[in-house]
Amino acid sequence: MRARRFALMALVAGCGPAVLAVFAVIAAPLGLAQVRPYTPPSSASAGADDQSGTLLPPGVESATEATKRVASYTPDPAKYPVPRTSWDGKPDFSGVYWPGVNIIPAPVLLESLYRPDAREYREGGGAARGLIDWRSIDSPAYHCWPPSPANGSMALTFQLASAPGFLLMLNEGGGTFRIIPIAGENERPQNQSRRPSFQGSSLGHWEGDVLVVEVTNFNGRPWLGGARPPAQPPQTSSDALRIVERWSRPDGKTLDFQAVVEDPKMLTGAWTGPLHRRAMLPYDMIQEAPCAQDPALYARHREYAASASARGTGVRGTGARGTAARGTAARGRGGR
Amino acid sequence: MSRRAMTIVVAVVAVAAVLWIVRDAVTENSTADGAPASAGASVAKTPWGEPDLSGVWKGEIVGARDGRDTFNLTTLEGLYTADARARMKQLSAKDDPALQCAPLAFPRAAMLGQPLQIIQSPGFTFVFTQAYPAVRIIPTTGRPHTAEQYLFPSHLGDSTAHWDGDTLVIDVISFNGESWLASAEDRPTNASTAIWLTSPAMHIVERWRRIDADTLEYQATVADPQTLTMPWETPRMTFKRQPADRIEEALCRPEDGPETYLARLRS
Repeated sequence: MRARRFALMALVAGCGPAVLAVFAVIAAPLGLAQVRPYTPPSSASAGADDQSGTLLPPGVESATEATKRVASYTPDPAKYPVPRTSWDGKPDFSGVYWPGVNIIPAPVLLESLYRPDAREYREGGGAARGLIDWRSIDSPAYHCWPPSPANGSMALTFQLASAPGFLLMLNEGGGTFRIIPIAGENERPQNQSRRPSFQGSSLGHWEGDVLVVEVTNFNGRPWLGGARPPAQPPQTSSDALRIVERWSRPDGKTLDFQAVVEDPKMLTGAWTGPLHRRAMLPYDMIQEAPCAQDPALYARHREYAASASARGTGVRGTGARGTAARGTAARGRGGR
Repeated sequence: MSRRAMTIVVAVVAVAAVLWIVRDAVTENSTADGAPASAGASVAKTPWGEPDLSGVWKGEIVGARDGRDTFNLTTLEGLYTADARARMKQLSAKDDPALQCAPLAFPRAAMLGQPLQIIQSPGFTFVFTQAYPAVRIIPTTGRPHTAEQYLFPSHLGDSTAHWDGDTLVIDVISFNGESWLASAEDRPTNASTAIWLTSPAMHIVERWRRIDADTLEYQATVADPQTLTMPWETPRMTFKRQPADRIEEALCRPEDGPETYLARLRS
């Protein structure tokens, strides 16, 4: 346990700019929590000043090493067959996934598709107008909102579980989850009256061995991508957001994910996201890592909301929390 | 003589046969009428043969409100040690970790009257709660708890479960001692502190089973030698099946403020 704590601190707090820069490059589009304001120096390159080799205990893989490993890996379904469920013979997604890398980048930048007339909306943080002060340290993750739906609302570490009629996605950071019913396998009545939400309403169906999930019924508050102050406002979404995801398993050790994002109120056309590949961790369950409230931050946001309210922007009370910094990835590869 | 012997043999065989038939009939009868104890025969099974607890379920709001105790909280209050009482006197309603959006462990999560969803996969049962963005991941193979070197204290604890007939028996340890067993709204008597502390030594055993197609039964026993003089038993409570395939998105949104959040817990 002490080793774990140490690994965790090393990973999350002590690794210095290198790991954070890697996170910024790889995970920024995932909408990760920004626990404290941080701007990577423009000269920083991943791994250049990676201290993890000296800080991490033996057997614990750094984020840099892990993503390198995934990027250079070629799936081998003959050697590592895709597991299949006992009830329908479809690919079994069950497992815990951590390091991820975009093996095929998005053909165009999402930013290039934003409608110019959406700019004003984006300046106010979108539906979260006045709540999210995107020029400072705010982000949806800062408010414990789920990660970006453009990446399947997946956190840095998550668990998938295949169950009869469902695919479950459980995030380690923040404890958010998605319950994805699979059409044709689920005899329960579809709930048509769900309220609009951050992660939308999902419905999956099989196309061969690919699970295609259509997600609609969003609440217009998620960011598809982070802000890059001062020039680029947040990549906001609207209630017209519609996402089609493709989940598949190239072999028994990996997961592929790709999404096509449509939002006629924000984008001039459909955006095809990167082909994102994740590798598995040698654990069968994630750990509890709630998005914990920071009282000082909470007070600051209340104050901000009160002043915004006084300015007439009609904000309700606000609060903010940082994401708890611990998790399965910090266990390293040691295994149990 | 030999005729008599034969008559006796025939009589004995006949009586034995009658007894056999009667016994069979009695056994069959008791199987058919013995519900709910032997309702297991009619309980649906998952494709891999476990009792199927899956579905969206909702219970009643229980607790000790307006002078009515519906969750044995009067008993619980009497079980607190002198030391725990002294600590509880120093705290107030606003110290409830639920107001900080900390995940609620069962049995407290069962008291809210909020929907929960159970989904089973081979080897695991998942319990999702609509009141909080939290998932319980419960291994159902009867394997030991997480090895001590990897165990860390948490709000929901470390679960492991096995099937006792049609009942899922869940053993939960490794709590962080921050959770409360009930809310500050729960006041069995006017003299109650309405603070419900726990310690990291807490050990909970839960029993979940389906008593019919649309009813789930829940019961928990809470032992906490650092704060309670004896284990506390919750009453048996039931959850009713809901006509939905999924619960709503669970978010404890701090922007709603603790006051709103508390109101939602009450509602």
